[in-house]
Amino acid sequence: MPVVTLSSDSHPLGREIAVRAATALGYDCVDREILSAVADRHDVPETDLHKALEESPSPFGISSKNHARYLAYIEEATLAVLLKDHVVCSGLAAHLYVRGISHVLKIRILADPQKLAGEISSGRTPSFEKVSALLKRRERFRRRWSLAAYRVDETDPSVYDMVISLTRIDPDEAVQTIVETTGYRKFQPMTYSLKCLKDKALASRVRVALIDRFPDVRVQADGSSVVVQTKALEREKQKKTEVIKKLAGEFPEVAAVEVQILPDIFRKAAESFR
Amino acid sequence: MERQVRVLLLDDEPIVGKRLVPALAKLGVETESFTDPEAALRQIAQKDFDIVVTDFRMDKMDGLEVLKRVLQKNPRTKVIIITGYATLEIARQALAIGAFDFIAKPFKPNDLRNIVVKAARALGYKVKDKPEDSSSANGDPDRELSGS
Repeated sequence: MPVVTLSSDSHPLGREIAVRAATALGYDCVDREILSAVADRHDVPETDLHKALEESPSPFGISSKNHARYLAYIEEATLAVLLKDHVVCSGLAAHLYVRGISHVLKIRILADPQKLAGEISSGRTPSFEKVSALLKRRERFRRRWSLAAYRVDETDPSVYDMVISLTRIDPDEAVQTIVETTGYRKFQPMTYSLKCLKDKALASRVRVALIDRFPDVRVQADGSSVVVQTKALEREKQKKTEVIKKLAGEFPEVAAVEVQILPDIFRKAAESFR
Repeated sequence: MERQVRVLLLDDEPIVGKRLVPALAKLGVETESFTDPEAALRQIAQKDFDIVVTDFRMDKMDGLEVLKRVLQKNPRTKVIIITGYATLEIARQALAIGAFDFIAKPFKPNDLRNIVVKAARALGYKVKDKPEDSSSANGDPDRELSGS
């Protein structure tokens, strides 16, 4: 059966629809509850994992290195759950990293702007002008966050298979529409799409194994072959390649590791000025 | 007695048929291989096939057109699309039209064998999981099969 990822401009609302859709479909619903297990596993504060999903890196908040690390942990855990199938996933940014997989139905739920503004301003009902300004600011922030984290604009409707506005559609109708859409043949799993998801899950596991030592690491998997990309100075190339091959090769599913070292031009420039 | 499962294999690269026909024969299925889509469709018009395995990108006709024509002739036929140009859009389109499964090249002959077994079982045939003999006159049977 298809997997459903549900994102929303309002996390509580997205979660509510996700729970209801999962119940109607007889699926599991996975949301931010998994972050506590992720935090335990990697020995990081759970609050920082929540922050990584909500905030961009900043000098006064989470560093860029930790931000990437926390999101990698969340991605790995989420993909492991999605592999089990029969899942509705919300609040874990899966719509941004589970892309190109035909049996993953990506839904965006847009809250009623007035209600959303009330939610953001802690229950107060601001004026129309204030609502509009508040929501625009929030949308700009989410666009920046998603572009920085995954190079995808989460406010772009083309990211999704379906966008449902709760200004015009009732929550009950939204749930029913989601349930009906999962029945479409085009969203059913097939050998190709299952392999793509499995490849993504393996790549995310390898990335987590490498990210502490190589914060900029990128990993792609194709069956039992993985391609790892990182930056290094010329003199570090050999050592980094050896370490990456060793760490990635420890996964039993990995038969071949290709390491692509890109020139670290910023560090090279910094060294040349010393 | 149950008749053999009939499989038609269509790929304009001759190497694909050369590698896959012996691999599928090990399942005990009867396989006919074609490189020309029009010749394959003429054969399909004359004879009922249980399973059609077709490449997606071919010079004369694409796999989706083959899929449509096969299902027009017999909606019961299970069509498996193989391609080196897999995308989310093509995969969804193939499934929406009625493909049984979709597999991206490169794949191992055993990957296709597993899908053929699944398709044959969906049609009610009793097919064994493992091929009778895993050795192959054409080299390693588990070597990946690539191409377009």
